[in-house]
Amino acid sequence: MGVNSYLPKTLKEALEIRKDHDTIILAGGSDLMVGAFRATGVTPEFDKDVVIIRNLPELKGIKKNEKGELEIGALTTSREIASNPDVPWILRQAAGKMGAVGLRNSATIGGNIANASPKGDTPGPEYLLDARVVVESLDRGEREIPVNEFVLKLKTVAIEKDEIITKIVLPYGDDDFDNFFYHKIGRRYANAISKLTLCSAIKFDGDVITDFRVATTACGVKTNRSRDVEKILIGKKRYEIPSLIDEVNAQYEALLTPRAMPEYRKYSTKCMISDFLMKVSNNTAEKFNE
Amino acid sequence: MSDKKNNFEYEEFVESFNPRDDETPLCGVETAIHRGDAYQKATGAQKYVADLKFPDMIYARMIRAQVVRGKIKKITVPALPKGYYFITEKDIPEGGKNCLNMIASDWKCFAAGEVRFKGETIGLLCGPNREQLFELEKQIKIEYIEEEAATTIEEGLACKGGAFVNDNNIHCQLKLEMGDNVDEIFKTAPHVFEDTIETGYQEHLYLETNGMIVTKENNKYILYGSLQCPFYVRKSTYTLLNIPIEDVVVRQISTGGAFGGKEHFPDILAGPLLVAEHKIGKPIKLIFQREEDIEYSVKRHPSKIVFKTATDDEGNILAMDSIVYYNVGGYLASSYVVLQRGCFHIMGCYKFPSARTRGYGVATNCYPSCAFRGFGAPQAIFAIETHMSHLAKHFGIEPLQYKKKYLIKQGDTTITNGKVVEEVQCPKMIEQLTEASDYYRKAKEYGYGSYKGIGIAFYNHGGAFTGNGESAIIKGRVRLTKNANGTVDIFCGQTEMGQGINTALRKIAAVTLGIPMSKVNFNAPDTSIVPDSGPTAASRSTMVPGYLIEKAAIEMKERWNSEDSFSVERQYQHPEGYPWDQATFQGYAYLGYGWGCAIVEVEVDKRTSEVHIKGVWSSHDVGNCIDKRIVHGQVNGGIAQGIGWASTELIQNINGKFKEKSMSDYIVPTSMDIPEQKVFFANSPYEWGPYGAKGMGELVFNGVGAAYIDALSRAINRDISKIPVPSEYVCDHVLHGTNSCLIEEKK
Repeated sequence: MGVNSYLPKTLKEALEIRKDHDTIILAGGSDLMVGAFRATGVTPEFDKDVVIIRNLPELKGIKKNEKGELEIGALTTSREIASNPDVPWILRQAAGKMGAVGLRNSATIGGNIANASPKGDTPGPEYLLDARVVVESLDRGEREIPVNEFVLKLKTVAIEKDEIITKIVLPYGDDDFDNFFYHKIGRRYANAISKLTLCSAIKFDGDVITDFRVATTACGVKTNRSRDVEKILIGKKRYEIPSLIDEVNAQYEALLTPRAMPEYRKYSTKCMISDFLMKVSNNTAEKFNE
Repeated sequence: MSDKKNNFEYEEFVESFNPRDDETPLCGVETAIHRGDAYQKATGAQKYVADLKFPDMIYARMIRAQVVRGKIKKITVPALPKGYYFITEKDIPEGGKNCLNMIASDWKCFAAGEVRFKGETIGLLCGPNREQLFELEKQIKIEYIEEEAATTIEEGLACKGGAFVNDNNIHCQLKLEMGDNVDEIFKTAPHVFEDTIETGYQEHLYLETNGMIVTKENNKYILYGSLQCPFYVRKSTYTLLNIPIEDVVVRQISTGGAFGGKEHFPDILAGPLLVAEHKIGKPIKLIFQREEDIEYSVKRHPSKIVFKTATDDEGNILAMDSIVYYNVGGYLASSYVVLQRGCFHIMGCYKFPSARTRGYGVATNCYPSCAFRGFGAPQAIFAIETHMSHLAKHFGIEPLQYKKKYLIKQGDTTITNGKVVEEVQCPKMIEQLTEASDYYRKAKEYGYGSYKGIGIAFYNHGGAFTGNGESAIIKGRVRLTKNANGTVDIFCGQTEMGQGINTALRKIAAVTLGIPMSKVNFNAPDTSIVPDSGPTAASRSTMVPGYLIEKAAIEMKERWNSEDSFSVERQYQHPEGYPWDQATFQGYAYLGYGWGCAIVEVEVDKRTSEVHIKGVWSSHDVGNCIDKRIVHGQVNGGIAQGIGWASTELIQNINGKFKEKSMSDYIVPTSMDIPEQKVFFANSPYEWGPYGAKGMGELVFNGVGAAYIDALSRAINRDISKIPVPSEYVCDHVLHGTNSCLIEEKK
């Protein structure tokens, strides 16, 4: 019974606390506080000391690094991401469709990847765009981990006890693909947890597909993406797409391991991929598709 | 008394319901005005029961049975610190009865021996510190002998695990017939079709969860609660302590939504609190958490309705038979009346040459079902509307053309062999709505299976208590008092729960008396002060108490100049010439129905089976709008709630346990899910209502679910016979569904 709470003012202070104590990090609190709630008038329950990082200035804001990649501070809220025109469209969509207004004002991009929920909104676009998660510790400084390696399994990420997620780096943006697709199926049209979300992007050089990507969330314990499936289309011509859709769908479906509503989730994934690729193949796709 | 600032001042609270800023004289009842309660509620200033504190107040946690069916073998309570109590049926004083008098008195205040459903109250753990209560609760050990449970209508009827109500698990039943004997017609009819329609549970999901505080003042027990019917609470609980009914005083605290969920359910809090107060003598507060309120509270009855309809070769209906099953749960409580209302509405807005219905309230080991906006009528109306659409499709007739032929008219005979008293405005509604929605073009163009659909439904709702119940059972009274300073007080038991009744009733008095709204006070009711004007339920508050206020105000106006301060009281009298026999359910079931028609247009995303609602058009006959904005609010809310019931509001009771327990699991529609509604009226004034107004709070819920399902069924060319239908179910219909679920009887 009873844990300590720390409220550091700088990243350095926070990293010292992480080094010296076994702690759990609280950023926006929109997920952790729900889990820790027991009853009105009863103290929330944490099994470890809590370090509340939401005030650290170093972890806020969105900027370009020297390589021209977008760096999003771990404490950037969903609302800030959704309303920043520098952020790729597909990530803005995900952030803007997360929960309700109050939640979007509180939830952070760092927290949304750290809780490693398969239903998280922002991880889908992060997987699609090969995002890297930057973590920092006092002893070893910064290290970068590709997002798909960062998330190990359900509710588990590759972070050490003394580390803090400081930012998410996006090596790709809107200009790097010709067409994007994002569709979140919520259980209603606002304030909903994802029932299934599909993210996709495709790039051409002339008529030749030079890149194709597809990622699904809420359809297994982790976000689904496979370069092998994507390679079915890479190097092919636009007019060849219709003849390859079935193969893409068949191989992609094999990745999906939904626990509930398996038929619905697999069928809808297949339909959305087919719809997007058909539009791309017959040149009716917009730059951004839903 | 140390923390006076935080202590609750009841006088201050009731006063806050009567804002003083509206001096504008009113030109009529229809004009929209500012609601008395709007500003405080919108700004968050309004206090609710969870905000209230009393000196020395302690807290309670409800301890509930965790098995679905069984016997309580042993309850082990840890050593309780000083000031902590575990209250059970053993604490009911001598002469007190362990029951809650809802309509039936079978629901026990505390489970004793037998457990009929998961969540049945076992005891109340009370004490000053909520942290400590939380820890103590974990140490209470209850051992059970578990028994096999029946949790669905089918299992209940099959008496799975043995009957626990009567010898057949039938809590209640009734039968109604009009016209000729349907069995004879079935023998010779060219076609006989069977059609089974089912509806699911619905959770009220009022914004404010249930909560209540009990105190003792001047040797009387005072209950402060979030509730609809103060007099129901009093009647339900006084027998627990074997004290005079007046010794239980109920004071309504501003109520953040109810929808029927606070009609009888507050008794479940009030009963144990009263017994605890008897033992402890300090103010005790009990507030449900959201998850607790969803998992352990009453819901709308799930239903299964089986139609058997005889037609000729052209699809003309010769006779209709139906069996109505409602899943009542462990105790009867109010469900017989719910089942009756369901059966009275089983013909919807239609008249057939001959009809019969038999209703059964099925006992199951589920949390008991109870009142919810519509009170049994929505299930019946959804079923008849959906059945009519199935028949229309089978015979290749456009559904509106098919339904139109059977619309009931003034003077036609109802299923209870009474007559429809008023002029039925459905034909006018058809004109309004088909034009506004471009129905005929869209119906033709979309057809079946284009992933676009438009649907239509007709519905009604009998206003107030059935038959002569208002005068025979309720005997509602209201009182108006003129004060020497020229203000008027309304004494009436109706409760404001967000629907606007406080404004509506004050407005009726103000307009009738010709004085500004600011001169009319109407405080939240206190059962020791106001006369019993009957429950705030059954779409009766404007129609009946509102009428009594109008009549009292007319007399008051005549005496206004000659007397300084005086009171006028009125009691309801059933109009002559409209007989009703409650023993046989024969006669005029309702003198004033509200009528409605709704058109819904949808577009289904072929890829994801998501349903986008493109338009909602509705028209209602509410007699007259006492306040246009309030009535609009009711229409918008009722329609959103009705669409939710048919679409996303899935709550599954799996083997006696509700699966969806939070607001992120139980999906009510948001304003993003429902487009701006087009609202029309086709009013037919009601002779015995204030300014012609009749009931409308439930009406607006009753039919839109059927219109939505009609539209969706046409869009995907699948018959849908069961609601709700979230998108994964739509997908299932598309992949595996049938485009005709009528089963024709082989001759």
